[in-house]
Amino acid sequence: MPNPSPEFRYPLHWRLMDAVERIADLVWPRRLSRHTGWLFIAPALLLVGLLVLGLIQIADASLRTLDTSTFLMSEDWSTENYRKALSSSTYLTVAWRSLSAAVLTTVLTLILAFPYAWALVRVKKAWIRKALLITLFLPFFIGQVVRAYGWLIILGNSGMVNEALSLVGVTPMRLLFNYGAVVFGLVQYMLPFAVLLLVPALTAIPEETETAAGSLGASWPRILWHVLLPMAKPGLIGAGLVVFTLTLTDFAVPAMLGGGGQDFIANAIYDQFFRTADQGLGSALALILVAAGSVLVGLVFMIFGAGTLAMGGRK
Amino acid sequence: MSNPVYRPNRRALLRGTAAAGAAALIGSLPARRLMAQDAPAKPAEIIVRAWGGSWVEALKKGVSDPFTAATGIQVRHDLTEDNEIQPKVWASVAQGRVPPIHINWDTTTNATKSALRGVTEDLSDLANLANTTDLAKPVGLDGYPIVNTYGYVYVLAYRPGAFPDGAPTSWKVLLDPKFKGRIALYNDGIGFHFPAQVAGGGNLEDIPGNMQPAWDFITQVKQQQPLLGEDPDFTAWFQNGEIDIACTISTNAREAKKNGVDLAWTVPEEGAKFDTDGLWIPKGLPENELYWAKEYINFAISQDAQQVWCDGLGLPGVVPGLTPPEDLVGDPSYPDTPEEMAHLIRISTKVQVENESEWFSKFKEIMQG
Repeated sequence: MPNPSPEFRYPLHWRLMDAVERIADLVWPRRLSRHTGWLFIAPALLLVGLLVLGLIQIADASLRTLDTSTFLMSEDWSTENYRKALSSSTYLTVAWRSLSAAVLTTVLTLILAFPYAWALVRVKKAWIRKALLITLFLPFFIGQVVRAYGWLIILGNSGMVNEALSLVGVTPMRLLFNYGAVVFGLVQYMLPFAVLLLVPALTAIPEETETAAGSLGASWPRILWHVLLPMAKPGLIGAGLVVFTLTLTDFAVPAMLGGGGQDFIANAIYDQFFRTADQGLGSALALILVAAGSVLVGLVFMIFGAGTLAMGGRK
Repeated sequence: MSNPVYRPNRRALLRGTAAAGAAALIGSLPARRLMAQDAPAKPAEIIVRAWGGSWVEALKKGVSDPFTAATGIQVRHDLTEDNEIQPKVWASVAQGRVPPIHINWDTTTNATKSALRGVTEDLSDLANLANTTDLAKPVGLDGYPIVNTYGYVYVLAYRPGAFPDGAPTSWKVLLDPKFKGRIALYNDGIGFHFPAQVAGGGNLEDIPGNMQPAWDFITQVKQQQPLLGEDPDFTAWFQNGEIDIACTISTNAREAKKNGVDLAWTVPEEGAKFDTDGLWIPKGLPENELYWAKEYINFAISQDAQQVWCDGLGLPGVVPGLTPPEDLVGDPSYPDTPEEMAHLIRISTKVQVENESEWFSKFKEIMQG
């Protein structure tokens, strides 16, 4: 390489970059470069490690029973908390309610999210797309509790819906504090998550595919059934898994829209930790929830694949 | 086991004129102690966990603001729920950390759990304890790990418009089909277990051994599809016309009424649960902060502070000679006669602490079924 002429002046940003390179070499010498990948994932590993540590502590607590004469946890381990959790009709009822609501919410959310996501991807006019995006993102700025409180106002006995019904002669009816209200609130909360997860999958489907199917004589329902849904399957699975797991572990919506009689597992866990101070039983319930959720998600992975969550792995 | 049912004797709560004379003398003590030159360094602030709404307003007006005026120490009210602060305090003591609050305003039952766990400081040396009634002393515990500060009643609150013939006289009114879906109870049933035992045909003496009558009655109430919530829910539900009756603390009903909600309350013939709240200090505070936290509690049980604080809450305090608020004179939720006290149900804290989890679980089992 020829030497630069004596008049050549090194630009300042070159000097800065050289300095940065020297510092980087001190911090992470070149001989370690084959381990650089590990360096990048170290923060994530640290976070996961902390989670695992937390789980180990929860597992330890779940094996200790509460002594109500001292309110201390037992020194010895036992499976008493698991026996209590699995033999209690209350927890079985609550678990069944959580599970059924999670399935129902997932199905309803996907049914509503799919056309929304499709419209978002296919719409030609920019202002309509912007309006759809704003409508989608606006609820993200409003927390779950505030949204649930909004439903209390809208669906209450003196709320907007009942007032509108009274205009047509319908007497006020109880729209809140039942299973239906909880599922309704959950669907409304989960819809943006599902749409956001479906959009990339639908964007990947060329519009020409639909046009081609149509030009070969397929009706719109046949295009939907035979072209769009199969091609959007990875997105549907990914969105379904996220909505299912978020619903299964939800706390605020059942607490606020259920009127106290529609508890989910998370509410039962809260009661044990904070109402009866029984951290052992609360931990056992929490681990059962983690295990049940993981097994169900694992089953979906096995049967349908991981969808968009596979990140290029098995489809 | 000793008889767990304690029907408080008002004579024990309201001591004689001799005690009142002593009170006047001791009443000036806090100010002198607060001004003492040899007092430890003052912290910039003291954090007191409190319930929100009218509860914290009453505390602020009756205790915190006058305490700040006398000492210059700011008082910050932490409105974390009592049940939620408990594990945080327990964890901080277990880990040898400074606790997140200086003083916990707590139910006596919850506070007793903390005392049994050994996380509370002893408050036996508070000077103003000499001027308090027996109600201030936690039952079944050595010394004063908690100082009870007032009593309260879980009344039957109702919307007068739903009772044109007058106040309901029995908890059995909850079974009236016309109130289906228009009833509210606390979501763990607190305050309702004991009157349910009587309304279900059982005896209070059978608690905790045989509470089947209570569970049978609660099972019948479940058929009425009650709403289950916390204090703020009750106010909102009454305001929005969602409910006609609720089992709630009289303070909440009184506050809702003050805010314009058409509401009244009564103590039905089966009686109503009487309980206490108190103040305690978690272990682990620096010495000077512990000193001033104790001074805060000492001030809270002074005659002047109790009068204003308990006036705001509409509840009977633990200092003799307090004047009831005008709107509560003769009100059964402000028991100040032996007859009114005899009509209330008070179960020992020990029995409640040992059995509360089981009662909550049983209530949940019925209500979630």
